[in-house]
Amino acid sequence: MKNRLLAIAPSVLAVALAMLLGFVVVALTKGVSEAAGAFASMFAGAFGEPSRVDELGVFAFLRPWGESATKATLLTLTGLSVAVAFRVGLFNIGAQGQLVVGALVAALAGAHLALPAGLHAVVALGLAAVAGGAWASLAAWLKVRRGVHEVISTIMLNWVALRLVEGWLVPGPARAQVEGNNSINGTDQVLPGAELPNLFGESSRLNAGFLLAVGVALALLFFLQRSVRGFEWKVAGLNPHAAKAAGVPLERTVVQAMAVAGACAGLAGAVLVLGTEHRYPGTISAPWGFDGIAMALLGQGHPLGVLASAVWFGALRAGGTRLQLAGIHKSFPELIQGVALVLVAARAAWERLLARAVRRA
Amino acid sequence: MLRTVAACALLLLIGCKKSEPAVPGATPAAAAARIVGVVTDVGGRGDQSFNDSALRGLEAWAAAQQYQSGSYAPLSPEARTATIPEALRAKVTPLSVKPLVLQSKSPEDYQPNLQLLVDQRADLTVGVGFLLENAVEQVAKANPKSSFLLIDSPILDAQGQPAALPNVRTVVFREEEGSFLAGVLAGFAAKDTVGFVGGMEIPLIKKFEAGFRAGVKTANPKVKVLVGYTGSFDNVAAGKQLAQDQLAKGAEVVFQAAGSDGLGAIQAVKEAKAAGKRVFAIGVDSDQAHLAPDAMLTSMVKRVDLAVYEAAKDLSEGKFTGGDRVMGLKEGGVSLAPVTLDFEGKAAALARVDALQALVAQGKVQVPANLKALETFEPPAP
Repeated sequence: MKNRLLAIAPSVLAVALAMLLGFVVVALTKGVSEAAGAFASMFAGAFGEPSRVDELGVFAFLRPWGESATKATLLTLTGLSVAVAFRVGLFNIGAQGQLVVGALVAALAGAHLALPAGLHAVVALGLAAVAGGAWASLAAWLKVRRGVHEVISTIMLNWVALRLVEGWLVPGPARAQVEGNNSINGTDQVLPGAELPNLFGESSRLNAGFLLAVGVALALLFFLQRSVRGFEWKVAGLNPHAAKAAGVPLERTVVQAMAVAGACAGLAGAVLVLGTEHRYPGTISAPWGFDGIAMALLGQGHPLGVLASAVWFGALRAGGTRLQLAGIHKSFPELIQGVALVLVAARAAWERLLARAVRRA
Repeated sequence: MLRTVAACALLLLIGCKKSEPAVPGATPAAAAARIVGVVTDVGGRGDQSFNDSALRGLEAWAAAQQYQSGSYAPLSPEARTATIPEALRAKVTPLSVKPLVLQSKSPEDYQPNLQLLVDQRADLTVGVGFLLENAVEQVAKANPKSSFLLIDSPILDAQGQPAALPNVRTVVFREEEGSFLAGVLAGFAAKDTVGFVGGMEIPLIKKFEAGFRAGVKTANPKVKVLVGYTGSFDNVAAGKQLAQDQLAKGAEVVFQAAGSDGLGAIQAVKEAKAAGKRVFAIGVDSDQAHLAPDAMLTSMVKRVDLAVYEAAKDLSEGKFTGGDRVMGLKEGGVSLAPVTLDFEGKAAALARVDALQALVAQGKVQVPANLKALETFEPPAP
């Protein structure tokens, strides 16, 4: 137990220190009470507003939770994508591209397939996962067959995906058809049967996508820690040479891990489209895939760690929208995330500090 | 060291917990003023064009406030008047409204931002641009008691058909009419060739193209129009490249309707002008003369500011209603910015522009709003 606490301490402390630094910076520029007010409104937007229960009822909590969960879902899935690849020693920098491909496939499947409600959503999710996995497998194939480093190929495939989807398909053949001289950005709206249902109705956007993300995290946890194949992946990641000598098929491991990683990112895109946007918007300009790298690092590659950091930063982002009303830049939550990342990257320093603290205690 | 950090973190959390009820916009002092919220599209504040125009209508015209580094300061009456075109000064009076502005980082932000403004008790929430159509539709349906204004698009259903909502006012502009006048001016200023730089190749931008080409044809049928689209609204380099290409092919006037890409197009014309060529640019949405004072012939101004202001005014007078509105030359929704540069035949050109403006406003000339209508367009006799 103590070891486990010590293991997560660097991440928790890094995030706490980043929040503190953020607070200090705002306090220095705007004053302490303004900073406290801004942070309070950020937390209200993330976790709920007890002061407005009279007026909004249970939605004083459910609506902020919905926003937090919407963002946490995407961060969890892209974080898992990066974490899974990392388990076998691969850097998947391509989650963004896999997400974009998955989102497009989900949007097309959601709008143009004719299936019973519910099943339609499941099929669209499945196709998006397959598409994301296939896109990531390209990088794996290049690595196995041609020895192309996956960092290079996944970064480049991000751009290929972006140009293909947002440069050609969405503004071109897949664009929504509109009456008269009006314009609509993005693809056709998905059919109601393909939408991920909201768990609490119209007033909160908390949808089934969040349950899916938690489910995927738990499934990966089980797979990585309790299955033979998961053990093979771990060995391959820790020492490929030893793994090979022990009979682990390295090439197959690489391809499988990348496919699973891509599927996670593809699912993120599908949840974005089927859960909240209901069409592929003209562009997906938020870098969810790159934020996934931060989530994987802060979560130390552990599925539950990824889930925890995604929930925290998803909530901060949802609440951070309100910081604009307090005159703080709209990217402040991302700033905190970036600072936390730098701090957690300095892991050796934390470990030394912690070791000293433990020795003293 | 560790303990210090932990203690600080703990203090921070406790400190935040205590100061709970700090919802901006809910202070009693602001209770008298009506709250008008604006959600910009991803272009955001400082785009020199569309979003800035909407913000001007709310912040400067209606609220007489100025946004500076995160907060509002009162705007002096002189400075406020300077932002209003002369023709509108009598009509645009300060109102008792409080602006609440949220910018969007990405398209996923539109819906939560709109909903947040509703939750902040905004009496009217404005979605700036057709990109927000879907989000405004969803939030308006979820909050039937709140009022909304959507700029540049009617509410459209899943099949792309107009589907009005009772609590949403939508305003679209007859961009083709303003572009028509811009085209007339360009046709007079150029001898041989003019260029059109569009952003995304969508019906909205085709309205600009159709009107502009009809105007050029009306002024001088012999002038050739080069047409190009960059395919985006946020790629300055693409706009510059396209405009440079057109200038190399002999374009003397370049009209841009391309968002941020257009800033690149103006830059290209500015550089060509500095290199000694006789070239002009025509801006769009806001008066963009300050971007290239030596090269800007005029701008096709789209009075998004007026649409936002009128909605705020109706709100504060208790007269706000939903419904679809169209603002053309007649309604003052589009116009040409003052022409300050000189060129050969300027007086005749301006006289012709004025005459045509009157004809269009009276409905005697129908300006084509798409390329199909342009094919059958017959220029009115001089």
